[in-house]
Amino acid sequence: MGKATKILIIEDEPDVSLYLQTILETEGYKTEVCNTATDGIDRVEEFKPDLVSLDIMMPHETGMSFYVKLKKSRKHARIPVIIISGAVQQKEFCFEDFVPDKSVPPPESYMEKPIDIDLFLQTVKKLLKTASGTKVKGA
Amino acid sequence: MMAKKIPDISALNSDWIHSEFFQMVPYMVAVVDKDYNIVEANANFEDFFGEWKNKKCYAVYKKQDKPCENCPSFKIFKDGQPRVIDSVVVDKEGRQAHNVVHSVPLHNPDDKSVEFIIEMSSAVTETNRLQQEVSVLFDRVPCYITVIDSDYRIVRANEKFRESFGDVLGQYCYKVYKRRNKKCPNCPAAKTFKDGKNHESEQSGIGKKGQSINYIVSTSPLKRGGGDIAHVIEISTDVTKLKVLEKDIIDAERLAAVGQTVAGLAHSIKNILMGLEGGKYMIGLGLKKDDRDLIDRGSEMLDRNFNKTTSLVRDFLSFSKGRLPELKMTDPNKLATEIIDLYKDIAGQSGIELKSKLSPKIKKAPLDADAIHTCLTNLVSNAIDACQMGKQKGTEVVVSVRDEKNTLIFEVTDNGAGMDYDIKKKIFTTFFTTKGGKGTGLGLLTSRKLVQEHGGRIVVKSQKNKGSLFRLEFPRQRLNYIYKESRKNGDEENN
Repeated sequence: MGKATKILIIEDEPDVSLYLQTILETEGYKTEVCNTATDGIDRVEEFKPDLVSLDIMMPHETGMSFYVKLKKSRKHARIPVIIISGAVQQKEFCFEDFVPDKSVPPPESYMEKPIDIDLFLQTVKKLLKTASGTKVKGA
Repeated sequence: MMAKKIPDISALNSDWIHSEFFQMVPYMVAVVDKDYNIVEANANFEDFFGEWKNKKCYAVYKKQDKPCENCPSFKIFKDGQPRVIDSVVVDKEGRQAHNVVHSVPLHNPDDKSVEFIIEMSSAVTETNRLQQEVSVLFDRVPCYITVIDSDYRIVRANEKFRESFGDVLGQYCYKVYKRRNKKCPNCPAAKTFKDGKNHESEQSGIGKKGQSINYIVSTSPLKRGGGDIAHVIEISTDVTKLKVLEKDIIDAERLAAVGQTVAGLAHSIKNILMGLEGGKYMIGLGLKKDDRDLIDRGSEMLDRNFNKTTSLVRDFLSFSKGRLPELKMTDPNKLATEIIDLYKDIAGQSGIELKSKLSPKIKKAPLDADAIHTCLTNLVSNAIDACQMGKQKGTEVVVSVRDEKNTLIFEVTDNGAGMDYDIKKKIFTTFFTTKGGKGTGLGLLTSRKLVQEHGGRIVVKSQKNKGSLFRLEFPRQRLNYIYKESRKNGDEENN
């Protein structure tokens, strides 16, 4: 059996992370949950995810703060990120409102809570495919 | 002594004329004969006007070649009466100057006719300039200035005052400022008449067009010869526009608080919806896979999120009481004591000392006691949590009440966990909580809203691992304004 595709879920609401974990693991992805943005980079280092699902509004440090660190890191910048948040409606999401720094690219996807499961899984699959350029294992 | 010697001056070279006194007197002194010739002058005169010997007075005083119209000396030669006049003269450099000239006749001892006139001039150019400046300042300074006598009649008013209140000299100040028929209660001028000190107060009056005028008046005594207070000067700053701005700011703060609240609420509800969706999904998946454990976990998730909805709605309802605070004169110490009594046991059970620091002489203030009770409850409860989260020993929470620069202050300090900059930034911006499932993130937001409704603000100071300070500041002027407004609105509603 080959190595499963790994997804890191950064989310402070335990029920939301459990939900995402259940959806993704049912589809055969390997997941890990990190409940603070502060620990995000360390968990990326340890877990080496192929994709990150990221919440924005979290205590101590926002998801966007983690996102900027990730995208500015040469080592991890290519990891695709799906931001899942209830803070802004999907049609109104404007990355520059959160990160005015133009050197930081916008996230690969933004989804509004509560998510559409099918659309979420399709997006995950598509981003992983684009990132690796190969057929994704476990999807 | 001088009066006795003057008649002996008929011979111009008399001792007196040439005496040291004649030279040193702080006036410009000249003696003029009937033909306008200056026959003698002192050094001050020569310093100011230049060469005078063998010259006519008009040539020296005015640098002109014929006698002045309405020449006062001419009149004195005629009627023998001394005169004092203001005169515009020209100095030796050709510059115009203002002098006050005292002219006195010198009589011939034999026939008593006026033989000479002695003219004593003093320069008042600088005095005139200052007078002019004071006059412009008095009229054009952007304040209302009135001088009132002990009967409270306006004896002087500046132009700015007349523009807003009309020409009101001789009228009673209370009639003019407020259209009242008797003296105002707490009149600052009355206090100044009584104690001779400066007083200040905020007032509202009615202008000549019926417009409402808010002003801060400051009163100062004008003493008669350093003794009795004959008059009081009232200087008022018009703060009507500031009052409008202040109201706008309070309204804008209220609106901003509502906007942030709605955004935060939407975020919380979306997370709950996501949890409900999650529960539903897990139950569905459990049924599909015949996995009892998954069904149970899904069911628990549904329960948790239904419960979250209940507590969110309950907290939100208490938060969203969209109303003006119901202000009543309240003893701030009493409020703080109630909170201490409420939390003393709870704090004690966790080994936290709950202390109060009251100000026994503090004045009552118009407060919504329930609202401030809620704020202090939130702050003390947070402080106790912070002490429990902190690793320090001997933790304490102090609730203090005091007045500072006419601002009523409630302060809750703790030496618990404290907050770093990132957390401090967020505590009022969203439904933010560091208490996990325990908090809805509404406590501080609610407190801020309630404080803002009182025209106040919350100041937060905190240092990680050292503790936090939450200060509720209520400027008493703003409290009084909102109190008056709420009473006015109440009257309108009752009508």
